[in-house]
Order: sequence, then structure tokens, then C-alpha cells
Amino acid sequence: MRILGGIGRKLGSAALSLAILITLTFVLVHVAPGSPVYQILGPKASPASIRELNHALGLDLPFWHQYFRWWLDLAHGQLGTSYSVERPVGSLIVSYELNTLALQIVSLVASLLIAFALGLAHGVFYDRTPGRIIGGVELALYAMPSFFSGTLLILLFSMQLGWFPAGGLENLRLAHQTVASNALHMALPCVTIVLLTVPVLSRYFAQSVHEELGRDYVRSAAARGASPSRILLHHVIRNALRPLVTVLGLSLPSIFAGGVVVETVFSYPGLGWLLWRSALAQDYPVLIGIVLVIGILTVLGNLLADIVNTLLDPRTGYA
Amino acid sequence: MLDATQQPVRIGASSFLARLLQLRPGNATLTAGLVLAAIILLASAIGPVLYGRDPYALHTASVLAGPSAAYPFGTDDLGRNAFARLLVAGRSTLYVALPATAVAFVVGTLYGLASGLGPRLLDQALMRLLDAVLALPGLVVLIFFGAIVPLNTGSLILLLGLISWPSLARLVRNETLAQRDRDFVHASRQLGGGLAHIAGTHLLRVMAPVLVVNFTFLVGDMIFALSALSFLGLGVQPPHTSWGGLLQEGLELVALDAWWLVLPPGLMIFAAMLATSLIGQGLLARGGSR
Repeated sequence: MRILGGIGRKLGSAALSLAILITLTFVLVHVAPGSPVYQILGPKASPASIRELNHALGLDLPFWHQYFRWWLDLAHGQLGTSYSVERPVGSLIVSYELNTLALQIVSLVASLLIAFALGLAHGVFYDRTPGRIIGGVELALYAMPSFFSGTLLILLFSMQLGWFPAGGLENLRLAHQTVASNALHMALPCVTIVLLTVPVLSRYFAQSVHEELGRDYVRSAAARGASPSRILLHHVIRNALRPLVTVLGLSLPSIFAGGVVVETVFSYPGLGWLLWRSALAQDYPVLIGIVLVIGILTVLGNLLADIVNTLLDPRTGYA
Repeated sequence: MLDATQQPVRIGASSFLARLLQLRPGNATLTAGLVLAAIILLASAIGPVLYGRDPYALHTASVLAGPSAAYPFGTDDLGRNAFARLLVAGRSTLYVALPATAVAFVVGTLYGLASGLGPRLLDQALMRLLDAVLALPGLVVLIFFGAIVPLNTGSLILLLGLISWPSLARLVRNETLAQRDRDFVHASRQLGGGLAHIAGTHLLRVMAPVLVVNFTFLVGDMIFALSALSFLGLGVQPPHTSWGGLLQEGLELVALDAWWLVLPPGLMIFAAMLATSLIGQGLLARGGSR
């Protein structure tokens, strides 16, 4: 029952975060310089047409009335229409988000596997030479900005060797896109994201493996005659993986947002790239739509990570 | 590894520098970081004066030339001296990143202290607001505002500074909660010390090691954020340039294989972030505080 209470409180706090987020975006829309009417009609609009559009968009209503309508529109999934491409923001976001998720999920699985192996080795040899070397590699990778590593990958593998395409997702020479061609386009962005995520995850995992190895249960298992590999597989790894769930929860925003920078380097048509294009074009409805969608997904993701953590270890539910 | 009973090896006189050079793991990391940071700071601060070539002059005779004696790092597509541009780019990057760090540091510390020392209701409200702000990736928010506000040195400093404080605020708040029931705080309160006095004189002093380490990490985060923003064309605006902006120009010319335009600015950002990481890690290993 107390676990349910803990989950209930987290639900409440997530709902509050969402309410603040939605209110903040509403305020942002209204303090942003340049009215949407000007954006749509341009500088040569007549006062009459400005008044007409103001009325059609509901911008002449009282403030609280607009705020109420903001919530009502969101509840109906209405995010407005893009200024620059004349498409509903919702469907625009969905189509780009799918590309982002494809790239992010592949990269995440690859990152987790590599980080698991690297972090385990780092954790086991924590204070010895192999551990130090892995720690140094992690530190160097951590300091490597993704726009630099991505550019280097393009320079080497696209320009010098010609193995992979430098950008985009579709091969324009093909009449129908094939999975193989898409995979080829995703290779370099994927490697860039892996280089970005692995040091963080692996360092975190190493830390918790190291901590678990020092605990009493490890010593008593060894005293009972359990082999080192059995202790590692059956006890240490299971316990050491738990904090990783929290870290994954915390990295959800960047998973949904897509590496904005990585997607821009490779002109990959995902949500991050859409955000960048909309920022340059000052396409406010799309910008706000993306910020809202990412925020909502993140709050829900963190909630999920909390619940999973509570189920894995009931003690965290009381905190 | 040296154990606690062994005296660390002494090199030279017992000056501050000598103590830094004592070869313990934390100190080696710290020393490497400080040396790297000093090189970057000097190159950016006095490099443009010492080198003295015009970073904006167009040498139309040698467009996109590779590294040579006349142009150590080559020239760009307009025939500008890439080395001179790299030095001024460092200057404008640090011009924005360092003040922005100061802004974030002050705002984060004050917010955390207010939340930790204030009434419970205020703490709850401030922390919920923080959760909502932290729900968004920093770079997404930066791009959002970068599209809205006119970009210049002042607005960039405020933008970066006012967006990067939340994680520090949470840290300071938790640290305040951990310290505020200790005897010296109660003693100070009994003697008539107000909240501002307790925060300023006692808590900040106790937290100083943690704050210094996090200030260092914040500098690295800020250099990254500004470089990313400039790389996306929403940071330092032309004709001024920054490391991120130079790298973006390099990427646009990547089809021409102009590696000399990509490597130097990328390595500078890498070195700057490595320096702050090393200093932070070194301080952590040295003080064992976090």
C-alpha cells in the first residue's frame, strides 16, 4: 500500500510539472516579439485584414479566455499550423519524431551494450591500470563535442573513404527507399550518438559496480565459496543495474528531442533538425509544439522510470 | 599508489606550485587541467595581440589554401587567415562563456539557498518550478530563445546564464538542507544571526569546495552550450566568430576536404572541455568532496 502511495505522490508531482510547463509555454507565446498575424500576413497587410485574422485566431479575447482556450486546444491535440510549410504542427511533429525514434532506439541499444561491457570492466578493475585507462578514454570521449566527432566522421568515412553518405535519410537516386539504404544513412549519426552516450552510461555503471563490489554480501558470498563469476553475474550486476534505470529516465529528454546537434550535422530529418529549421525560420507554432511535446514525453518518461525503480526496490518509494 | 602513511614525493621548494606537482593521482589530473586551461586562456587573451594578423582581411589570391609558413592553419573560402580567426574566436567564445557562467552560478546559488533556508511552502514551490524547468533539455530551450531574442554579446550571456542554473540550484538546496541543522548554524541563530548572515558567512563557506568543483564543470558546460549554439548559427553572430561558428564553416566546406578548417576549432573546444573536466576531477580526487 505504501508503494501505491509513493506512486500516487509521483503522479501528482508529474501532473503539476505538466501544468507549469503548459502555462509557461502559453506565457512564452504571448511575450514572444512579433505577432503571429504579422508573420502570416507580412508587412503589407491592411488594418482590416489584421483585425479579421486577430479575431479568427482569437487574439482579441481577454487573457484568461485565451489561456482557457490554450488548454482546450491541447486537450484536443490542436497545436496550430506551421507558418512556413502550412501543415498542422501535430502531424509535422509526428512524422519527424518517428525518424528520431528510429535513430535514437538503435543508438540506445548499441550504447547500452557497449557501455555495459566497458563499465563492467572499468568497475571490476576500478583502481588498477586497466580501469584507469578506461576511465581516461571515458573522460576524453566525454569532452568530445558531438558536432566535432560527427564532422570528423564525415571527413573520414564519407569524404576520404566514401563508405557512408554524409547526410540525409533518403537516397534520392532510388525510386523506392530500401531498409538497407536507410540503414546506411543512419550509420554515421548512430556512431556519433553512441560516442556521446557511452562515456556517461559506462562511467555511471562502473561507479555502481565498484560500490556493490565493496558491500558485505559480496564478502559473505565469497566466504561461502561462490566463484567470482557467479558473484558478479548473480549478485553484483543485478544490483548495479538499478541506478542505470534512473540515468536512462534522466536521458529521456535527449532521446525524444534527438541530438539536435547530431541531426543538424548530418541533416537527418528528425525532431531535432525540425527544431533547428523552425528556429532559423522563426516558426513559433512548430517551436512551441516541439517544446511541449518533448516536455510532456519527458515528464511521463521520468514518471515511468520512478515507477519501475519503486517496483525494483520498494525502499525508494518511501523517500 | 601511495598510501596514507607514506609522505608524498617532494619536488623543488615547498611553494604552491610544488605542492600541485606532487605526483598523486588527483594532483596529476589537476595539474594537467590547469596547464591546459592556462594555454587556452593565454592564447585567447593575448594571442590575437601577439600574432597581430588581421582575422578579417581577405587574401583573394590564396583562397582555401592549406597550412603554410604564411598561413599556419591555412585560409578559408574567403581567403581569411584561419589561425588569426581561431585566436579571435577563442576570445569571443570566452567573452560570452565566462560571464554567463558567473550569472548561472550566482542565480543557482541564490535560488538553492532561498529554497533550502526558506519556509517549507516556498521550498516546495521553488522545487516544483525547478522540476518543470529541468523537464526540458537545456539545448532545446536555448534554441527556442535563440530564435526569439536578438542575438548579441549581452543577450547571449543572459540567455546562457539564465538557462544553465537549475542543476546547481538543486545541488545547493540539498547541500543547504544537509547543513542547516548543524550546531554551528543553530549557534549562529541563537546569537541573533539572520538568514542572510547564516547563508553568506557560514553555509557558503562550508559549501565552498563543492561550489568550486561545480563552477569548474559549469564553465565546461557553458563553453559547450555556446559552441553548439554558434555551430547551429544561433550563437555569436558574424562578422564576429567563435569556435563553434568556425567549425560550422568547416563543415559547410567539408566536401572540399578542407580539414585544416575543421580540426583546429574542434580541438580547441575539445581541449577547453577536457581542461575543465580534468580540473573538476582533480579537485574532487584531491578534496574527496562532492
